[in-house]
Amino acid sequence: MKIRFVLIGMVLLLGCSGVGAQLAENKSAKAAPAAKSPSSSKSDQGARKFQMNCGRCHKEPEDLSPREARTAIRHMRVRAMLSAEDEQLILKFLAP
Amino acid sequence: MSKFLGFILAVLLAGPAIFAQSAPPVLSGDFQFVGSSNAGALSFQPVFYPVLLVPLGKHWLIESRADLQGFISRENGKTGPYEASFVNSLDYLQVDYIANAHVTFTAGRFLVPFNMFGERYSAAWVRNLLDFPIIYPIGTRTSGSSNGFMLRGVIAAQENWELNYTAYFSALSTIENLQSGRAAGGRMGMFFPHAGFEVGGSYQRFLQNGDYNATGAYFSWEPLPIPLDTRGEFAYSPNGQGYWLEGAYQLSRDRSYTTWSSRLQLVARVQQFFRGKIAPQDFLPAADTNRVDFGLNYYLPHDVRLNGSYGRQYSSTGNFNSWNFQITYHFLFPLLPGGPK
Repeated sequence: MKIRFVLIGMVLLLGCSGVGAQLAENKSAKAAPAAKSPSSSKSDQGARKFQMNCGRCHKEPEDLSPREARTAIRHMRVRAMLSAEDEQLILKFLAP
Repeated sequence: MSKFLGFILAVLLAGPAIFAQSAPPVLSGDFQFVGSSNAGALSFQPVFYPVLLVPLGKHWLIESRADLQGFISRENGKTGPYEASFVNSLDYLQVDYIANAHVTFTAGRFLVPFNMFGERYSAAWVRNLLDFPIIYPIGTRTSGSSNGFMLRGVIAAQENWELNYTAYFSALSTIENLQSGRAAGGRMGMFFPHAGFEVGGSYQRFLQNGDYNATGAYFSWEPLPIPLDTRGEFAYSPNGQGYWLEGAYQLSRDRSYTTWSSRLQLVARVQQFFRGKIAPQDFLPAADTNRVDFGLNYYLPHDVRLNGSYGRQYSSTGNFNSWNFQITYHFLFPLLPGGPK
């Protein structure tokens, strides 16, 4: 029984790593972006920071106003141990 | 408790002046309806998890989450008339002072920072499967929450890595809905943001019922270019040890949630538990247990999510199937009107 479950676990992980080809493909696609304007660059940075930190656990909340976003991001600063800089970048992304 | 609630009420009443130009208090949370069949026994659960957030100035935050659940099932499991019961608890009610990136002081009632499931994935709209992992009670006794104080933050960080920590002490509480164990412990994790990978370890010294240690390890990997989440935990205590591994994959390359394929997520979890010394009220299975779960999540617009899952549990005390269906609505709105949108 133990072996069967370890095998299922390994299949699960291998199945996940099976998307490695997709990973490599997407990585090469990601390497391409050229220089952008400062504001869109900040928004991009915020999107990336969101995906790196918040996106690990949940999707982006919908219909968030700037006021609500300020409170939500304070909550996540504690939960996800965000730096003040990351907090501002993510705030710009959530409520530009 | 009443003094604390009075303080929150005073803050809310003085709100318009305090929050006019800053972040307002917010009520957030989840409504959920769950239908389950465990070993043929049907049950239905309407659940409400309100989350209150009250930021104060630049450094302070009061945050709280309650867990209000109804439970409707047959009197004798599979037979008899349906009957309803109601349970509620306070998951956390804490005051945070964010001193800087390295230290946040927390006092009050907070989720036990053992491994990552309780703190990160216990919210209804966040977790991929309804059931908590079998090993969840290890390191989080007695209720999953602690009453005491905690320090948390980032010890050091560079562009490609971050070392984070939590350390806490909890006092014994037997007050109804506010139970906690006397314990001390902490967690340390190494996060590699560009790889979307985190690995860490946890320790807890349970300081009652014959002191003992619980240890744990965890990882999570969310490769940024692809919509895949993998995570897992291992935990050990004298009462038992085990692990779980979970993978969730969205059927689209992007995470935009704009097409049906990006809204659909496949989930699988495998877990094993090996029973150790039997202890009263340790909330662990009575015998070695193995379990697999498969689920489908569909993210509808406006933060509504549908989940369906099937699980099969194997144990010397009996094998059984488990079916779950749930609909979850996540909401958030400010408690004070006005101010700049």
